[in-house]
Amino acid sequence: MKKKKELKISRRTVMKGALAAGAMMSAGSIPSKLFAGEYNIPDPLKPLPTTGGNMRWIDSGDMKGVFWKKLFPEYAASRGITIEYDGLPWKEINKIVPIAIRNGTVHDVFQLPLGMDPGVAVAEGWVQPWDDYIESIDEWLAAFPSGVYLPGVNQFNGKTYGTCLTANKRTGTCLLYSEKYMSEAGYDPQAGRMTYSEIRDAAKKITKNGNGQYYGWIIGGNQVNRWEDVVHTFGQVGGAHSGRGGFTNRHINFQNGKFQIASDQYMEAVELLLQLKSDGSAFPGVMSMNAPQARALMPQGAAGMIFQGPWCIGVWGRDAPNWKYGIASEPVPDGKEAQPLYIAEGGSNTFWLSANSTMGPFAGDLIRFMGTEQGQIYWAQTVGAADPAVNPDAVAKAGLTGPSAQALSMFAENILVGPNPIVRNKDVGIVAAKSRVPDPSLALVIQGLYTGQLKGVEAQLKDCNQRYEDALDKAVEEARADGANVTRDDWVFPNWDVYSNYGAEKYQEL
Amino acid sequence: MHKKPLSKQIYDARWCYLFVLPCSILTGMFVIYPIGMSWYFSLLDWSGFTKEAKFIGLQNYYEAVNDEFFWDAFIRSFIFMFGTVPVKIVLGFIIAVFLNNQVLKLAPFFRTVIFMPVVTAIAIIGIVMTFVFSPFNGPANKFLMSTNLTSAPIDFLGNPDTVLPTVMGVYVWKWLGITMMYWLAALQTVPQDVYDAAKIDGAEGYRLWIHIILPIVLPFAIVIILVEAVGALNVFPLIETMTAGGPFFSSEVMEIYIFRTAFVTDSGTMPRLGYACAAGVFWGVAVLFITVLQGLWMRRTRRI
Repeated sequence: MKKKKELKISRRTVMKGALAAGAMMSAGSIPSKLFAGEYNIPDPLKPLPTTGGNMRWIDSGDMKGVFWKKLFPEYAASRGITIEYDGLPWKEINKIVPIAIRNGTVHDVFQLPLGMDPGVAVAEGWVQPWDDYIESIDEWLAAFPSGVYLPGVNQFNGKTYGTCLTANKRTGTCLLYSEKYMSEAGYDPQAGRMTYSEIRDAAKKITKNGNGQYYGWIIGGNQVNRWEDVVHTFGQVGGAHSGRGGFTNRHINFQNGKFQIASDQYMEAVELLLQLKSDGSAFPGVMSMNAPQARALMPQGAAGMIFQGPWCIGVWGRDAPNWKYGIASEPVPDGKEAQPLYIAEGGSNTFWLSANSTMGPFAGDLIRFMGTEQGQIYWAQTVGAADPAVNPDAVAKAGLTGPSAQALSMFAENILVGPNPIVRNKDVGIVAAKSRVPDPSLALVIQGLYTGQLKGVEAQLKDCNQRYEDALDKAVEEARADGANVTRDDWVFPNWDVYSNYGAEKYQEL
Repeated sequence: MHKKPLSKQIYDARWCYLFVLPCSILTGMFVIYPIGMSWYFSLLDWSGFTKEAKFIGLQNYYEAVNDEFFWDAFIRSFIFMFGTVPVKIVLGFIIAVFLNNQVLKLAPFFRTVIFMPVVTAIAIIGIVMTFVFSPFNGPANKFLMSTNLTSAPIDFLGNPDTVLPTVMGVYVWKWLGITMMYWLAALQTVPQDVYDAAKIDGAEGYRLWIHIILPIVLPFAIVIILVEAVGALNVFPLIETMTAGGPFFSSEVMEIYIFRTAFVTDSGTMPRLGYACAAGVFWGVAVLFITVLQGLWMRRTRRI
C-alpha cells in the first residue's frame, strides 16, 4: 500500500516565513537597502548612467578582498551593475596587469605592478584621470590628510590619476608569533623588542619543544620579495637609514644618495636568516611555499614565528579565530637601539582607472564613497591594520581592538615619513621608467645565500650593491640622454634628520 | 611537350589554392607573423608596452650570449630533455609491449589509467604536485617517513639539488600515456603473420622483440623521439606552476627565462620584451637545429 505523504512544517520553516513576511510588511516604511546588507550606501551625488554594465576590478587582495567581496555585491545591486573582482597576489598582478595593458583588456580599476612608475602609466595613456568621475573632487581631496595626494606620485598635469584609500604607514615584516610556543620557550615579545640573539634562541627552543612536530620560524621562501622585505626592514631597524618603494627609492640612504645593500646592518639581517636555518630552527620546506602558504601554516601549529605584515591579522581572525597569537615590532641587532623606519609620502593601494574603461562614473562614485568618513570607517572595521584606512578620524571611530589596534599604534611609533626624490624632482620618474633591477636582484641573492647556491654574505652583498649602483647610474644617464634634468644629487637630502618626518618645508629648504 | 605557363597552372589548380587559403591565412596570422615580429622586436630596446622603442641592432643578442643566467637556462633545458625523453621512450615502450598483449584482459583499463594524466590540465597537475611534494604533510614525504626511507622530510621543490629531478619525474608521469599510445600505434602496425612466423621459427621472448619487432618499429621510434624531444623543450606551464624556476634559478629553463625577462618580475621595474624576443629567437633557432639533425637522422635510418 502506498504510504500517504505527510505535510511536515518545521519550526525553522515557520520562523523563516514569519521573518520574510515581517520584512515585506515593513518594507514600505524602512529603506529597503538596510535589508540588503550591512552597508548604508548613499545615493550618488549625480545621476549615474542607467545602461548598467560590468565593472572589472583587480587588486592585491588579502583583507582588501575580504572587504570588497562584502561591499561589491551591495554596491552593484544599488547601482544596477555587476562587479567582477579579482584579488590576486602581487606576483600575479605583476604578470597579469602588464599583459592586460598590452592587449587592451586590463580591468576597469587596477593596481600598477610593484615598482612601476605611475608617470609612465600616465604618459603612455593607460589610465584616465578620476576628476571627471568623482563629484566635487577638490572638496573630496581636501578631506584627506596632507601628503596623500601629491604631484608626481598620484597627480599629474593638475589631475588626479591615482586614488588612495589607505595609508602606507605599515611594515610587512612584523614579528607574528604563537603565544603558546613563545611562552613555552620562555619569551614574551610584548615585554620589549626582541634582539637577534633572542629570536635565534627562541626559535631553537621552540624547535626543540616541537620535537619534529613544529619549528621555530617559517617564511614563504619561494616568494622572493619576502627575503628582501625582511632584510630591508631589519636593516633599517638596525640603523641602515634608507627609503622604501620602487627601485629608485628602496635601499637608498638619502643622506648620501647611495645604496645600503652592503651595509653592516643588511649583512647582520642576512646572517640572522642563515643562522635560523643552520640552527635547524627553520620550518623544512620554506623554499617551496609562498607567503600566503607560510602564513596559513602558522595557525596550524607548524611554526612559532613568522616575519609578516598586519594583513595576517584579518586572515587569521577569519580562518582561525581561536588561535592565540601576538604581534610585535621587528627584532633589533644585539646591543643596538631600534631606529625608525621610513615611508615615502603618499598613500598606498593606489587605484588607477583604465583609459579604456566605460565604467568611470560607477568607479568614481564608489571611490568617492570610500573616501568619505563613513566609507573609511567601513573599510577600517573590516580591513583593520592590514591596510589602514587613510583617514585617522575614521580609524579612531572604527573601534579597533586587539592586534589590529596594537599594530596601528606600533606603526605610529616606529614609522616616519622620509624623503622622496620624485617629490623633489619629477624627472626622477623618467629615471624610474628607465631603471631595471639588476639580475640577480637582492631578493634573489638572499634566496641564493639561503639555499647555499651562493657563498659569502659580504662578497655577495657588495657585488649586489655595486650592480644596483651601476643600474641606477645607467638609468640616470639614459634619462638625461632623453632630456631629463636629473642627477644622482637628486637622491641626496643633506637636511634629512632621520629622527623626524620629512615634510614640505624640508623640500623647500633644499 | 610544351609546359603550361605558371599562371595557367595556378588557374587550373584554383580550387586547390582556394581550399588551402583559409589555412594559409591562419598560419600567416598566428605563426608567420608572430615569428617575423619576434625577430623584429629582438632588435629593439623595448619594454613591450610603452610607446618608446629604440632600434639597437644585435645588442640584445650580444647581451644574451654574455649572460650566465641565459646559458644556465639553456643548458638546463637540454638537461631536462635528456633526462626525460629516454625514460619516457623506454618506459612507454615497455608498457606498450605489455598492454599490446591481447591475452591481458585488463589492458584497456591500464591504458586508461596511464593515459589519464595526459588529459588532465597541466596547471592543475603543477599545483597539485606542489602539495604532493610538500615537506609538511605532503603524501610523498609521509610515505617516505612512514617507511623509514628518510628520517626528515625532503623539500623536493625547495632544494636546488632535488627540484629539477622532481619536476622531471612529474613531467614523465604526466606525459607517459601519450608516449605509450605512440608505441601502441607503432606496435599495432606489426602484422600478426610476423608474430606467427617468428613463433614457428622458434623466436620467443626478448629475441622476438630485439631481433624482429624492434627493427620493424624503429622508424616510428625516430619520429617518437623527435616529437618527445621537442615536447620536453616546451615545459613552461608545468615549471611555472610548480617552481616558477626557483629556488634561485635551479629549475629555470629557457621558457621561464624568456617569460621572466618579458614580463615584470617580483622585483618590479619595466620588463624587456625586446631582450626576451632575442632570447626566444636564439632558443627557437637552437630547437630548429636539433629538429633538423633528427630529421637527417631519420632519413638516414630509413635508407638503412
